Amino acid sequence: MTQKNHSQTRTRGVAVTAGTSILALTLAACSGASGAVEGDAFAGDHEGQELNILINASHEGAGDWLAEGFEEETGVVVNVTTVPYDEIASQLTLDQQSGANVYDVSAPWYVSLGDLAADGSIQPITEFVEEHPDIDVDDFIPTIWEPYAYVDEEIYGLPFDGDIHALFYNTEILERNGFDAPPATWDEYAEQVATITENESDDGVYGAAVFGEQSPLILGASFANRLAGYGGEFLDEDGNPAINSPEAVASLEALEDIWDDALPTPAETDFGAGNSAWFAGNVAFIENWTDLGVRSQDPDSGSEVIDDWGVTYLPRANAEDDPRASLVAGFSWVVAGNTDNADLAQQFIEWAASTEVNSELLTALPPTGIDPNRISSLEDETYGEEFPELQEVNASTLHGALAWPTGQNATEAAQILTDELAAYLSGQRSSAQETLDTVQAEWERLLVD
Amino acid sequence: MAVPSGHPGGSGGPRRRGRFTARLYHRIFISPSVLVLLVLAAYPLVFIASAALTRSSLGNPFQEFVGAANFQTAVSSPAIRDSLALGTGYAFGVAVASTALGTVTAVALWRSLHAGAFVRTVLLLPMIVPPVVVGILFGFIFSPSGGLLHTLIRRFTPGSGTFAVLSDTTWAIFGVALADVWEWTPLVVLLVFTALLGQQPEIIEAAQLDGASGYQMFRHITLPAVAGTIIAAFMIRLILAFKVFDLVYVMTSGGPGSSTQVPAFLIWRSALQNFDVGIAATITLLLAIVVTVVTIPVFLITKRLRDD
Repeated sequence: MTQKNHSQTRTRGVAVTAGTSILALTLAACSGASGAVEGDAFAGDHEGQELNILINASHEGAGDWLAEGFEEETGVVVNVTTVPYDEIASQLTLDQQSGANVYDVSAPWYVSLGDLAADGSIQPITEFVEEHPDIDVDDFIPTIWEPYAYVDEEIYGLPFDGDIHALFYNTEILERNGFDAPPATWDEYAEQVATITENESDDGVYGAAVFGEQSPLILGASFANRLAGYGGEFLDEDGNPAINSPEAVASLEALEDIWDDALPTPAETDFGAGNSAWFAGNVAFIENWTDLGVRSQDPDSGSEVIDDWGVTYLPRANAEDDPRASLVAGFSWVVAGNTDNADLAQQFIEWAASTEVNSELLTALPPTGIDPNRISSLEDETYGEEFPELQEVNASTLHGALAWPTGQNATEAAQILTDELAAYLSGQRSSAQETLDTVQAEWERLLVD
Repeated sequence: MAVPSGHPGGSGGPRRRGRFTARLYHRIFISPSVLVLLVLAAYPLVFIASAALTRSSLGNPFQEFVGAANFQTAVSSPAIRDSLALGTGYAFGVAVASTALGTVTAVALWRSLHAGAFVRTVLLLPMIVPPVVVGILFGFIFSPSGGLLHTLIRRFTPGSGTFAVLSDTTWAIFGVALADVWEWTPLVVLLVFTALLGQQPEIIEAAQLDGASGYQMFRHITLPAVAGTIIAAFMIRLILAFKVFDLVYVMTSGGPGSSTQVPAFLIWRSALQNFDVGIAATITLLLAIVVTVVTIPVFLITKRLRDD
């Protein structure tokens, strides 16, 4: 109908279009000169349009919050689709490759950016970022910014969810077992876990829930936590694999040390099983994302440990070592490769990665599962007042955090590591060194040009 | 007057035209079937073969012709070789168990027809439960934290520790197999039971008049009558077991280690997790070869039994 009317009044339409263009250019020039407020720049431009975003199922709360907030700000209807965390990249790729092009924006695991970029499933946003100083890339936590944004020299993502693990502990269980403080080293951790399991496992209480299900974001994260604590790296300074280093071997052995004392059984412990045991007060320790603290204080999350928990840095090799964060499962905003709404998609991710939005998401209820991605949101006053311990622990991301390898084939590399870790921990490999030597050889094939 | 040599009879022309017309109609009528066959069978096969011969990722297939490189990678990969061997052993084990259990159950049902439709319907229920639900259900049964098996073991043998079936490299595949057998044995029951009902009553009556005992009747009359169906059911079950994916995905994610990495799971992981469609297609072709080699003898036995 609109097309028909338009063709009937083509001359008039051209005149109107030209007039509108001039008006738009004038307004754009004015807004550029005045440095308009972000919300005003959006207002009215996209009223009534729709944006389809694909995110991790555990970010559903954040998705609802963002959809509501963006619609309020711009009038754009945001349709949120959630899938399991390990299916975002494949869903987005199939969507783009099939020509369906349903999704405009997504937030995959940062490790998959290289594969997504290589397949054209996401598009570079370097130019957009450089042309929009308001994005303020210097405010993103430096150790997060590079792995969450870059594929080679191009920017493909903006950090969404910082996602580091911290060590949560149940104060009541520790007290019952005579521990005054949580462990500072992995050895102390293994000792406390063994003691608690020995004392209380008959009553269904265990020293720790250890995420050990065979997935990079689960078992891989548990290993990465230890690798960070032992001062190891996935890649050396030249970008070559260093996964069979003495630190990596010590990390795998440290994981093995608590395998038999953890909530039965680590190989079957995913987020659901581990978190349920934590909220029920059945485990003394759990290595988890810092947003677990927000949920632990939320009665609507089914938490029975309200005010009975504490959080500290992940243990290290030695007590005097500096705490070091492990970027186990961060997520980045990306623009789909074939979207017809690239402009709107870029504006959305700029808004969703902003200080204001990230700060709000940190303390929103119901909990959104989002961790700090910016220095300014990490230092947010409300976050500091409501969750000072979480803020302190998250500050460990500021210096030397451990990030997974990124780039093409990084997803497969993470899976290979996870498979070998699982094989070792289930007794299918003879030694930690041999296991990691196998991974090293595979990583050299996949990651080295 | 003269008839040209080589064209015997003036009526040859119309007859040829008639045959031509008949052939044309024949081809027109079968063309929809051929088209369906091409779309459903040939196209996927060509796609898979092409992917196996090229460097193909999930979002960008057929990037570069690599010849037999994917096959060399697959054949030299211990993970893929082990997976094909595991898949073959699993398929045979599960097919034998399902067929034996299904046949026994079908015979029991046949002998007690008065058990009624209700019992028969209940026995068929597992087959109509979605495999994902079956996986979740058996996951709960085997859960070491309050699962049915764990609860029973702790009740009858207090202090015996935790027995985690799905975390054990030896027992995990048996846990998956048990769920698989539970789910698909009713299919065998249905097929064999139908075959049992289809027996000719005159033969059974004649055997009874000759004084044949129950065992003799079963051994010499019933079993030969339904043997072809049992073998056919075994073959169907074998192929279904080769394709198992959902139970593994839900119950073990291929673990612990690689102990439940059956071929279908490996194909899924290669294509959708590692984005390597070339290798996924290669494993698919290797699996097709294995399934063909394994099922040909079964097919021949089935044919022979039917002919007899």
